[in-house]
Amino acid sequence: MSNTTALAEAHDNSTTKEIWKITAYLSILTIIELALGFWMMGLNSDSARFTVKGVIVILMIAKAFYIVAYFMHLKHEVRNLIMTIIVPLFLFVWFITAFLYEGNSYKNLRNTYDPYKKAQSSIKVSNSESSEHKVHSE
Amino acid sequence: MSSTFSDHSSATLVAPHLLDDTHHEHHHETFISKYVFSMDHKMIAKQFLVTGIFWAVLGGLMSVLFRLQLGYPDASFPWLEDILGKWAKGGHITPEAYYALVTTHGTVLVFFVLTAGLSGTFANFLIPLQIGARDMASPFMNMLSFWFFFLAGLVMLSSIFVETGPFSGGWTAYPPLSALREASPGSKSGMDLWIISMALFVVSSLLGGLNYIATVLNMRTKGMSMTRLPLTIWALFFTAVLGVLSFPVLFSGFILLIFDRNFGTSFYLSDIYVNGVGALPNEGGSAILYQHLFWFLGHPEVYIILLPAMGMVSEILSTNARKPIFGYMAMIGSMFAIAILAFLVWAHHMFVTGLNPFLGSIFVLLTLLIAVPSAIKVFNWLTTLWRGNIRFTPGMLFSIGFVSLFISGGLTGIWLGNSALDIHLHDTYFVIAHFHIVMGVASMFGMFAGIYHWYPKMFGRYLNNTLAYIHFWITFLGAYLIFWPMHYEGLAGMPRRYYDYSIWESFKQFSDLNRFISTVAMIVFAVQLLFIANFFYSMFKGRKLLTQNPWNSNTLEWTTPINPGHGNWEGDIPEVYRWAYDYGKDGTEFISQVTPIGSSESTH
Amino acid sequence: MAVISTTLPSEKLWTGGKSPFNVEYGKLMMWYFLMSDAFTFGAFLISYGTIRFSSNGWPDPNEVFRSFPLAPEGIHAPLVFVSIMTFILIISSVTMVLAVHEGHKMNKSGVVNNLILTIIGGIAFLSCQAWEWSHLYSEGAWWGSNPFLNADGSQSSTNFTNYFFTITGFHGFHVLSGVVINIVMLIMTLLDKFEQRGHYLMIEKAGLYWHFVDLVWVFVFTCFYLI
Repeated sequence: MSNTTALAEAHDNSTTKEIWKITAYLSILTIIELALGFWMMGLNSDSARFTVKGVIVILMIAKAFYIVAYFMHLKHEVRNLIMTIIVPLFLFVWFITAFLYEGNSYKNLRNTYDPYKKAQSSIKVSNSESSEHKVHSE
Repeated sequence: MSSTFSDHSSATLVAPHLLDDTHHEHHHETFISKYVFSMDHKMIAKQFLVTGIFWAVLGGLMSVLFRLQLGYPDASFPWLEDILGKWAKGGHITPEAYYALVTTHGTVLVFFVLTAGLSGTFANFLIPLQIGARDMASPFMNMLSFWFFFLAGLVMLSSIFVETGPFSGGWTAYPPLSALREASPGSKSGMDLWIISMALFVVSSLLGGLNYIATVLNMRTKGMSMTRLPLTIWALFFTAVLGVLSFPVLFSGFILLIFDRNFGTSFYLSDIYVNGVGALPNEGGSAILYQHLFWFLGHPEVYIILLPAMGMVSEILSTNARKPIFGYMAMIGSMFAIAILAFLVWAHHMFVTGLNPFLGSIFVLLTLLIAVPSAIKVFNWLTTLWRGNIRFTPGMLFSIGFVSLFISGGLTGIWLGNSALDIHLHDTYFVIAHFHIVMGVASMFGMFAGIYHWYPKMFGRYLNNTLAYIHFWITFLGAYLIFWPMHYEGLAGMPRRYYDYSIWESFKQFSDLNRFISTVAMIVFAVQLLFIANFFYSMFKGRKLLTQNPWNSNTLEWTTPINPGHGNWEGDIPEVYRWAYDYGKDGTEFISQVTPIGSSESTH
Repeated sequence: MAVISTTLPSEKLWTGGKSPFNVEYGKLMMWYFLMSDAFTFGAFLISYGTIRFSSNGWPDPNEVFRSFPLAPEGIHAPLVFVSIMTFILIISSVTMVLAVHEGHKMNKSGVVNNLILTIIGGIAFLSCQAWEWSHLYSEGAWWGSNPFLNADGSQSSTNFTNYFFTITGFHGFHVLSGVVINIVMLIMTLLDKFEQRGHYLMIEKAGLYWHFVDLVWVFVFTCFYLI
C-alpha cells in the first residue's frame, strides 16, 4: 500500500480512540443498569418495576449493539454479511414471545385449577425458619 | 478503519482452493487416508451414505419387528427369542422391547438416516462438485463431522445391548420418561447413551452445516452466481442454515435434561409420584418446556430432512423432463419461506398439551401458511413435467414418486395444522400416516432418486435398471398400501404407540387391516434389501460408465472425469456462464453451464 | 481509505470466484458458529424466562448477590462484586480488540502484550466466578438446593439456583475455553507462526469468540442480577 505513514498513524489513532470511546459507553451503560436494578427492587408497584425492567433490557441491547458493531467489527463488514447475521436474529422475537407467553399462561392455568398450589405459594416463610444459612444436607 | 481491513485481507480473500487451480498433484495415499480418515468430500459422502444405509437397514428391521407384534399380536415366533433373547420371551416381543424398538426406529430413521444419511451424503457430494470447488472449505472439519456421526452411531448401537435396554420413551424423549431413571427400564442407562449419542450427533451436524454454508458462499467458481446455482445447492444451503440455527436449541434442552437426570434439578419436573418410589421432591419445573425446546428443533428438523430431497428432485425432474425447471426463482423463494416458517410453527406439535389456545391460534395461522410455498413447489414440479420429453430413469421415477407422496402427505398436514381438528387426530395413526408419507417416505424417495441419479458419478458404474424398476414400483405401491389405511384407523381414533390393539373393543375391527399393513411392510423391507444388493453389487460389477455425462445434464459435476480424483477437475476449474437449466433451449437439447452464451442465443 | 464494499459493486461480489463478503472462510464459519452458539445461550435464557414467567415468585437478586470477598459479616454490598466481574470482562474485551488491532499492524509485541492482558482478565473473571460459586455454595445454594426465599417472602423453587448455576456455568465454560484459545494464540504468536503466515487473522477469529463471551455475559448479567 502506498499510504503514507502519517495517514496510517492518523487512522491508527482514530481506531484506538474509537475503542476507548466504546469502552466508555459500555461502562456508563453498565453503571446506569446497575443503578436501575438496585433502585427497582424498592419500588412497590409491579407496573413501575416492569417499566424499569424494560428500560434495563433496552440498555442491554444497546450494550450488545456496541460490542457486536465495534468490538466484533461487524459495522465495518460488507453489508450483506451484516444482514446474514442480523436477519436470523429476528427469529428470537417469536422464540421469546411465544415461550414467555406460554410460561405465563402455564402459571395462570395452575393458579386457576390448582388452588392448593396457589395457596402454598403465598405462604410467607418466617425468617427464623428460613434456611438462609442452611448447610448442605448431602 | 476499513483500509486496514482491506490491506491485510486482500491476500486471503480468495479461498486457497481457488488459488491453486494448477496445483493438482497425486500425493501418495494409504488405505487409511483414502478410505478411512479421508478428507476428500466425495469419500466422506460415500462414508455417510454407507453408514446411513447400515442404519436404514437396522431401523427398518426394527419396524418390521414391531409391525410383527401389531399385525400378529396373538402369534408366537420362537425365532424371535433366538435373536432377541429375553426381549421376546416365548416368541412374543415384550412391551418394553416394543417401546424400545419404536423409539430407536424413530431416532435412527430421523437423525441417522434422513439427516446424516441424506443431507450428509448429498451435501458433501454435490456442493463442491456443483458449485465448482475442489473440496469443502474445511476438509478437516468435514472429516470430523463424519467421525462424530460415526461415534454417535456407535454409542446408539451400544445402547441396544445394555442390560436394561435402549431408551423406550419415544424418539422425542419427553420427560418425565426421559428424565427419571425410575420411570421405565429404558430410562436408565439406555437413556444416558441415547442422550450422549444425540449430543455427538449435534456436534457432527454443526461441523457439517457450518462447512456447507461457508463453502456455498465462498467457494463458488467464477461465474457461478447465487442465481445460477442448481436448486440442489440452494436446498442443501437452506438445510445447513436450519441445522445451524435449530440444533443448538435442542442441545440446550438436552443439557437441562442431563441436569434433571443426574444432578437433582427440576427444569422439567414438578408434582410427580412414581410407583414404588413415592412423591418426588422436584418442584416448579415444566415438562412442556422440554417439548417447546425439542420442537423448536423438531420442526426445522422436518425441513432439514425434506429440503435436500426437494432440491434433488427439482434437479432430477428438470434433467429428465428435458425442460428447464419451472419457476426457478419461485423455487428459491419458496424454500426460503419454508426455511423461515420452519422456525415459527413448532408448537403445532403441542396443541393438546395445554398450550394456551390464543397462542395456539397463531401457531395454526403460521402453520397453514406453509401450504403456500409448498403448493408453489408442487405446481412448479408439475409444470416442469408438463409436456416434457420425459425419460423414465429410476431416479426420475423416484422423483415423481416423491412429488406424489409430498402431495398426499402434505394435504393431511392441513388437517393436522388445525388445532381444533387436532383434538381428535393428535396421537392417532392419522399422524403416523401423515408424517411417514410426507417426511419419511417422501424424503426416502428423494434419497433413492439421488442415489440412482448420482450413482454413476459416485462409483463410475450404473446400478442395475431392472432391479431398480422392481425396487421403485414395489416401494411406491407399498408405501401407499402401508400408510394410506392408517388414515382410516386414525380417524376412527386408534391411538399410536399402543402395544396390542386386539384387547380394545373399538379397535378390534382393524386386526385384519393391521395384519395387511404388516405384511406389506415386510415385503417392502425385503425389496429394500434387493436395492442394497444392487447397490453393493453394482459398485464392483455394475455396467461401466463410458461417458462423462450419462444423463446429458447441465450441471458441473458431469464435467469432471468419470472417476474424479481429490480435487475433482484435472486442470482448471471450469468457469460458468449460465444457469443450470438450459434444456431444450433454442432447439438444443441441453447446454452445459460451462458453455459460453452464444451470440445468437435468445435470452430467458 | 477505500472501503471494499463501495469500490466493488455488490453484483460483482456475488458472481463467484471470490467471497461475496470479502472474508475468508474461517472467519465466516466463526461468525456462523457464534450465531448457533447464540441460539444455545438464547435457548437457555429463554427457558429460564419461561420458568420464571410460570412461577408465582422469584428471589430478589439484591438480596442474593450481596456478598463481597473479605467483607465482614453483616456488611451487604448488593451487586458490587458482580459489577467488578462485569468490568473485568469488558476491559479484557478491550485488550482483545487492541490485540487484534496490533495484529492488523503486524506488531508482534503489541499482540503479545494485549493477549497476555486478555488472558489475565479471563483468569481474573474465572477466579471471581469461582469465589462467587463457592460462597453461594457455603450459603446452601447448589443444583437442586435453593436457600433463598422469593422476594415476597414465600418459599422459592429450586429453579432459581438450577438455572443460575447451569447458565453461569455454561458461560464460565465458554470463558475457560476462550482463555485456552487465547493461550494457544499467544504461544503461536511467540513462535512467530503468524509472522510467517504474513497475517494475524487467527487472532481476529479468537477475538470474535472472546467478544462473544463478553456479549453473552451482558445478557446473563442482566437476566440474573438485574431483572
